[in-house]
Amino acid sequence: MSISEYNGSALVAMVGKNCFAIASDRRLGVQLQTIATDFQRIYKIHDRLLVGLAGLATDAQTLYQRLVFRHKLYQLREERDMKPETFASLVSALLYEKRFGPYFCQPVIAGLSDEDKPFICTMDSIGAKELAKDFVVAGTASESLYGACEAMFKPDMEPEELFETVSQALLASVDRDCLSGWGGHVYIVTPTEIKERILKGRMD
Amino acid sequence: MKLDTSGFESTAPLFGASSELRDGFSNAPSFDLPVTADFDEFQKEAKATLKHAKGTTTLAFIFKEGVMVAADSRASMGGYISSQSVKKIIEINPYMLGTMAGGAADCQFWHRNLGIKCRLHELANKRRISVTGASKLLANILYSYRGMGLSVGTMIAGWDETGPGLYYVDSEGGRLKGTRFSVGSGSPYAYGVLDSGYQFDMSVDEAAELARRAIYHATFRDAASGGVASVYYVGPNGWKKLSGDDVGELHYKYYPVMPSTVEQEMVEVAGQ
Amino acid sequence: MECVFGLVGNGFAILVADTSAVHSILVHKSNEDKIMVLDSHKLIAASGEPGDRVQFTEFIQKNVALYQFRNGIPLTTAAAANFTRGELATALRKNPYMVNILLAGYDKETGPSLYYIDYIASLHKVEKGSFGYGSYFSLSMMDRHYHSGMSLEEAIDLVDKCILEIRSRLVVAPPNFVIKIVDKDGAREYAWRESVKDTPAASA
Repeated sequence: MSISEYNGSALVAMVGKNCFAIASDRRLGVQLQTIATDFQRIYKIHDRLLVGLAGLATDAQTLYQRLVFRHKLYQLREERDMKPETFASLVSALLYEKRFGPYFCQPVIAGLSDEDKPFICTMDSIGAKELAKDFVVAGTASESLYGACEAMFKPDMEPEELFETVSQALLASVDRDCLSGWGGHVYIVTPTEIKERILKGRMD
Repeated sequence: MKLDTSGFESTAPLFGASSELRDGFSNAPSFDLPVTADFDEFQKEAKATLKHAKGTTTLAFIFKEGVMVAADSRASMGGYISSQSVKKIIEINPYMLGTMAGGAADCQFWHRNLGIKCRLHELANKRRISVTGASKLLANILYSYRGMGLSVGTMIAGWDETGPGLYYVDSEGGRLKGTRFSVGSGSPYAYGVLDSGYQFDMSVDEAAELARRAIYHATFRDAASGGVASVYYVGPNGWKKLSGDDVGELHYKYYPVMPSTVEQEMVEVAGQ
Repeated sequence: MECVFGLVGNGFAILVADTSAVHSILVHKSNEDKIMVLDSHKLIAASGEPGDRVQFTEFIQKNVALYQFRNGIPLTTAAAANFTRGELATALRKNPYMVNILLAGYDKETGPSLYYIDYIASLHKVEKGSFGYGSYFSLSMMDRHYHSGMSLEEAIDLVDKCILEIRSRLVVAPPNFVIKIVDKDGAREYAWRESVKDTPAASA
């Protein structure tokens, strides 16, 4: 089994009308053994920017700590939050720093710009950015997620419909993956608020 | 090149004199072998190419009223779930069940084959085959193919003239008589629940609930098990399917979610 | 083979570990205490390579003590767990420690807690956790019989159930176990569960 499939994960981010959604599963496993079903893979960087880290849990935690550290330094120096594009470049730089001994993580970055324009992007474990206008996926359930999102995505969805779509895509996809699932965690970000919801899912 | 299986055959024929009926049934089926110089290497490659349906939880136990048999229903290939509705409890005849762990095709084929042999035994001897006999029949066949890549881990459970019977048979040639078995990747988890809850003096309902609960806990911890927890009971009048519960629903039956944990409070954005 | 597990009850946390020191087919010792008292209100149970286990837990213990000396206040359990994870994570890409850790503690503010940290430094707060071959039996056992807010008697009863199951189902089951607890009165040894005494000396 590959190292990036060691803990199991499913991540998806989708763009709506002046909003976006990012969702993940809740399992922490060690190969086939489930350790916990309340694991966090999506982290808040600031009020309009979230990052999800698929792949090896330990590297996700390390990377998150380094990202928060760098973002706080930026806030102190610049007295403002990072733009999503800038943050994506930071993630990419931190990943490429470890080009010959990478973090086994596939990040998904989702944020709202100052003009309320949603931004989503993913990258590989050494920082090759991949921007998308509609949705991005990552993790062990990524193949099923591609299928589900491809079929269910519509442009310019309102927050509530977006929540429904992302949730259905996530739950349907993890039902075809052994290593992810055990519930879901969804964030809907609009210009005024972050809505966080926990999804009931199959626990097998 | 064809494998000579004549050496494996029983010297004492099982069914009376030879007849048309016997041909092709009572003999162990023979299979063509590949034309290759290195059989072992070919076998290795073939196994790697064929994706086996592995990852299972099955269990069976004898109690006061008979035998309880239960299994999950997931088939997986690596991390991918190829099916959530596999029948892992195979109905050999109205009085005997087999469980399936390991290669799906191997289990299905050899259980069907065992079913044929059991029926022929019944016709020849005018009485049903014992669970002991049936499991021995299967064990002998599997033993004859030992080292050739078959992958079977099965329990034969049934009711015969001596009462309830339970045997564990595997493709390494093992055959064990017992009162409590669990087979598959989720079996240690199932044993944990089964051992602490087992009593011989259980009612059918209690036993069914124990079996179901053991399968559920195994599917929770073992990623390769899941789907539906089916429970069968074998009593003096043959087997009966008691239940088939979707594990996804079972979890919330055992652990109802408090509404407060389902949905968290909205996090208002500060300073907007 | 190694069996380490633990759970959180009402006002206390329990850690259990086998006490066998094994090298290939040889049992050197069957009363090796693998649960260290980290400070007055913390316990750390470790499994893994014997050398790493002792070196690493002692290193953590001394650093936690150093922090207390310098600052006059002890680390919280969460802080100690994060420190431990940090050290494991840094070592991971240099010369990894092969140790899996369960860290239990009691804090005035947060009460009892249990942290799961595996050798690749994935950190997670759990109610019940387990490492080693014993985990296959003890996890499902704890899932079945655990409920939040267990009393000490209930918890010890559950621990004994797990030990019994491991002894009867695990091929290479260790004979002896040590049980330690931590609550508001501090961390201490609770009991031993011995089925053989240490190798007796040949009588003269």
